[in-house]
Amino acid sequence: MAQTVDYRPEELMAVVISREVRDCETVGVGAVSPIPAAGCILAEQLHAPHITLIILDGEEYYPFPAGGSELHFMAQRGELDLFFLSGIQFDRRGNFNLHVIGDYNAPSVRMAGAYGSAMLYYMAHRVILFRTEHTRRIFVEQVDFVTGAGVTPENVYREGGPALMVTPKAVLAWDKTAGEWLLDSVQPGSSVEDVRQNTGFDLRVSPSVHTTPPPTARELHVLRTVVKEKLTRSYPDFVREKILSI
Amino acid sequence: MGVPFIAVRGLLHSDILKHRPDLLVNENPFNPGEQVVMAQPIRPDVAVFHAVQADRWGNAITPGHRDDLMMARAARRVIVTAEEIVAGELTRRDAVDDTFLPAIDVEVVAHAPLGAHPCGFGSLYEHDDTHCREYLAAAKGEASFQTYLERYIHGVRSHREYLERVGEATRQVRG
Repeated sequence: MAQTVDYRPEELMAVVISREVRDCETVGVGAVSPIPAAGCILAEQLHAPHITLIILDGEEYYPFPAGGSELHFMAQRGELDLFFLSGIQFDRRGNFNLHVIGDYNAPSVRMAGAYGSAMLYYMAHRVILFRTEHTRRIFVEQVDFVTGAGVTPENVYREGGPALMVTPKAVLAWDKTAGEWLLDSVQPGSSVEDVRQNTGFDLRVSPSVHTTPPPTARELHVLRTVVKEKLTRSYPDFVREKILSI
Repeated sequence: MGVPFIAVRGLLHSDILKHRPDLLVNENPFNPGEQVVMAQPIRPDVAVFHAVQADRWGNAITPGHRDDLMMARAARRVIVTAEEIVAGELTRRDAVDDTFLPAIDVEVVAHAPLGAHPCGFGSLYEHDDTHCREYLAAAKGEASFQTYLERYIHGVRSHREYLERVGEATRQVRG
């Protein structure tokens, strides 16, 4: 009989992200991104020991002599395999919003803005989006402001773009041909109906939709020991509140 | 770099382009048919950096692996405030893991201990959370913000007086 293992949604998301990291890739993690940072360190510990991992603001994972410009120039050269982005809104067509809610000139919410994301979304080979809230106010039919576009015409040079969306309820895969998100798997405890009800656009469901395999005992153990320790300096609050102890 | 513009990939079909007259879309002359963004240089009149140490010629050391040198060169004038003004001359060798701003890029140096307040500064001191919360609350309204400015900015005659007002005594400088 399978034993029920308790874990936090942030831990599940980090584990799901870790499984997407491929060995030998060059992987970048932006500022204020503890979940992907945890996922990448976990991947490095488990199945991807040869990744080049770059974490902005993470002393141990910062190989460059200069500042954040280095990661951006690296992406412009087409040398960044994987990057992670979040946002305040996402829509069916892969657009994300990091700017405003409402009218641009009189917004109800004004965020800090794009930084390099509107370039990285096109120039990293794959971008995994993540968001800890899966509701209709986040997943909307049309974002109020397109910070980065999921779909662009032929005359726009793109190394890559959206690949996956990870939330506490679902994993969405990017259907490049159709140019829209596809429900690939539902997280343990959720269901196709639950995901669709909490998504503000008509989310297509993959014929092979399944339940995400829950974190294994080994994944959780490494996450809560080695990864937790390595992440503590950069993200002390996150580590204390979101990653459980052994 | 001093170039008239720089070509950037990405950004196309982002709403950012609707609000930024300094970003134009053009054809890549070396790859006809490809659209690229051309960005006008940012040339600030003044850039201000807070340094761990500076000397009286303008050489300065700012902490961390940052892009300070690039920003200093983009700006027309550069002001450095420093935790400490050293007696001798600083050189590149004094900045081990830090950024060295050479005097040629710096116009003004001012001694300002705890000058990053209410932000933290490397390993020297932490964020002043209490003061940051006070600032955030004050910034929500015009009147409360004016009160804040009067209390901490316009109502003090010097950096020393500012520090006294925010409670220098309660702050601990480590190291």
